[in-house]
This record gives sequence, structure tokens and C-alpha cells, in this order.
Amino acid sequence: MATGARALPEITAYRSVPEFAFGRIKDIRIRWALDEIGQPYTTRLIGGIFEDKAPAYLADQPFGQVPVYKQGDLILFESGSILIHIAEADERLLPRDAKGRGRAISWMVAALNSVEPMIQTLVVLTVKGQGTDWLAGAMEAAKPFAEQRLARLSQALGERDWLEERFSIGDIVMIDVLRNASPQLLTPHPNLDAYVARGTARPAFQSAMAAHLADCAVGEPLPA
Amino acid sequence: MPVNPDSKLEVTAFDWVPDFARGFVRDLRPRWACEEIGLDYAEHLISAVNRPADHFLFQPWGQVPVLNDGGIRLFESGAILLHLAEKDARLMPRDPQARANTLAWLFAAYNSVEPMLFELGNVDIFSTDEEWAKLRRPSLIEFIQGRLGRLNDAIGEKDYLTGEFTVADIAMATVLREAVEAGLIAEQPRLQAYLDRCLARPAFQRALAAQLAAFSEDAGPPAA
Repeated sequence: MATGARALPEITAYRSVPEFAFGRIKDIRIRWALDEIGQPYTTRLIGGIFEDKAPAYLADQPFGQVPVYKQGDLILFESGSILIHIAEADERLLPRDAKGRGRAISWMVAALNSVEPMIQTLVVLTVKGQGTDWLAGAMEAAKPFAEQRLARLSQALGERDWLEERFSIGDIVMIDVLRNASPQLLTPHPNLDAYVARGTARPAFQSAMAAHLADCAVGEPLPA
Repeated sequence: MPVNPDSKLEVTAFDWVPDFARGFVRDLRPRWACEEIGLDYAEHLISAVNRPADHFLFQPWGQVPVLNDGGIRLFESGAILLHLAEKDARLMPRDPQARANTLAWLFAAYNSVEPMLFELGNVDIFSTDEEWAKLRRPSLIEFIQGRLGRLNDAIGEKDYLTGEFTVADIAMATVLREAVEAGLIAEQPRLQAYLDRCLARPAFQRALAAQLAAFSEDAGPPAA
């Protein structure tokens, strides 16, 4: 290897997760972005979602989650921040002009803070509430929030292929969030359904998901 | 004086909200960022009761804040905070690792801490008298406590998340305020001291006063 070759970026991923989380882990977003720009990377596998993490890992990721991203001496956690870091180096993921950059980042934050929490809550309730007396009530209360966000998102997307004129990290996160929504939530909005299908048909999503699934097995037990 | 009607930087906020939301509407976050760096901004006040139809063009959920920076329009307070922080090293340090830490903690606030508190809001504010909410609450509280405990440990002996004050502290402190009433911060001593330290900053106090000053009793819904 030539001297001075830059070390490949490294991301962490889980070795095993419970069934409900299979195919839904956030290293997929990072793999997708890296594959969009043809940037090879290495993975470092750690146990599972609920396994106790070593203090050294918690120093890198305070909540013990994945992904952690390392490149040379630089280290980052939280998929949103990692995506900005990766995208700032390549305008195929993030426009360079201030207007386009602002819109793409607005959409990415919208996906992380205004759409994902409402969808994630429904997933969490379904898992944690299984067999409880509170599941039905909690689902009934939480569903309208998710439905309202998807209705507004459907209006905002309209007939466009992507959230803005060009594909960006905003689409990567939004599509990854939406594909975890239950079919009943997406069915009323054919344009959102088509948007998810369009995004997940991209070769970079396909290769990212294949690499994710090659690293991650189903099998981690749920905590007692 | 950051609130300046002649500024080309415009923050959209509501002219009235119900009592429980006063001091917690998210235009507080960009107001605080502007106050920290002495950046003038103009207020664009809109009705929360009758939201102008064109507002949805700039904010898909019809929420506030929206930022208009001389024609660059952003929505989602997280994206707006990032945009403002890029203007000043006091909010976003220039050193690559310090910048990476700031990005990571900002997204931790938005995607790893605040989403849990949305569900707590469903339980404690919107469904407080429901039987299912009383049954759901203990396991939700336990989950939130676990994550806040990790955050408490990560802050350790530091004054701020990355050591020095940054835009990430604006995000995290405004998120943590949402958990104060449930008693979830008081049980984490370092977190409580951290939040007190953030909220004692004069820039926060000025931002809070500016939000409260913008509310007009005449702008509320007609009395029943």
C-alpha cells in the first residue's frame, strides 16, 4: 500500500439484534451515504442493543448505541452528525450553495426530530406493550401524531421525486425513517409509498442494506 | 439588542400560545443563539390559532420557528441552530474534533433525548387522566431515567457537553427543560447542575423574556 494512503472510515454496527429491530438499525443510513459516493469503509461489530457496553465504548457513544464513526483521528456519534460530516465532503449528498444546504439539512432534522419520533414510538409501544393493558390506549393516542406528520409530509412532497430538486442526506434519513412505518400509515399516501420505493431501489441503498444484513443477525433476546 | 425590526435575519414565532407552552415554544432556541453572539434578528409573529396558509410552504408541520436569513429559508430548530452556529466560533468551534463533538451532541439532543420526552408529553399532558397512561408511565419513566443517567455520566465534571459552551448546549438544555416538571432532572445531580448553569446564562434569560414579550392576550382564541 502506498505510504500516505488515508485510512478508511470505520463505523460500528451490532452483531445481533432482536427481531423487532432487524433491518432497522441506524448504521444503515451511514452505509447508504458512503455507498452513494463510492467511499469504502470498514465495520467494527459490537454486541447487541441491550448488551452492557464497555466503558471505552460509552466514552465514544454516551448512550451505547451505533453507529460510531472514526476517520483517522476524528470521531463522531449520532447518525445525523455523521451524515453532515460525510456530506460536507461531497455535493452529491449536500448542495454547496447556502440555500440548498439549508433546505437539505432542514429536511434531515425534520426526519430525525419531527417524523422519526412519532413512528418510532409506535414501534416501541408495540414491542414493550405486548400483552399489557395499556397497549391499545397508548397506540390510539400516539397514532394521530404519526398520521398528521405523514399527511403533511405527503403534501410537501407532492409530485416531486425527492424532498427538494436533488437527492440529499435529507432523503436518506426520511426514506430510512418512512420504511420503518407500518404499511397502514403509508397506504393513504401513494406518493410517500412511491418515494420510499424510489429511494430503496437506489443501488446504494441496496448495497448498504446487503452489507448491514451480512453483519447483523437476529437473535439478541429482549431484556427481561 | 438582538430583537431589531430592521434586521435581515427574521425568526418566525407565535403571537399567542396557551399558558402551558409559554417559555417552551421552540423559537426560544434561535433567539438564545442570537443572544449569545449579539446577532440582531427581526420577529415575524404569526397566529397559532389561525396559521396563515402560506406558512405551510415554509414549515411542513405549520410549526415555528422558521428562519429567513436574507432569502435563505430554514425550518426545524435544529437546522436553524446549525445555520446560526456556523456564523460564530462561540457557538461552533473551528477545531475539527471540537466541531464534530458539537454536531454529535446537538443531534443527540434532537434524536436521542427529545424523542423520549415527546412520548412523556403524550402521557403527562395530552392523556393524563386516561387509565392506560397511568399504566404506561412507569416503564416509560424507567427508560427515560436510564438514558438521562447516561447523559449525567457523560457530562461528568465538565461544565458543558463538549467542555466549552456551544450550540449543542442550547439544544440539550432546552430539551432537558421539558423533563423538569416530571422531576426527572432533579434526580441526576450533574444534569441538574448543568441545566442550572445553562439557564443562568444572561443570553438565555434575554431570549426567554423576548419570547414571553411577543405574546399578546388579544391574539388568543375568542373566549368561550
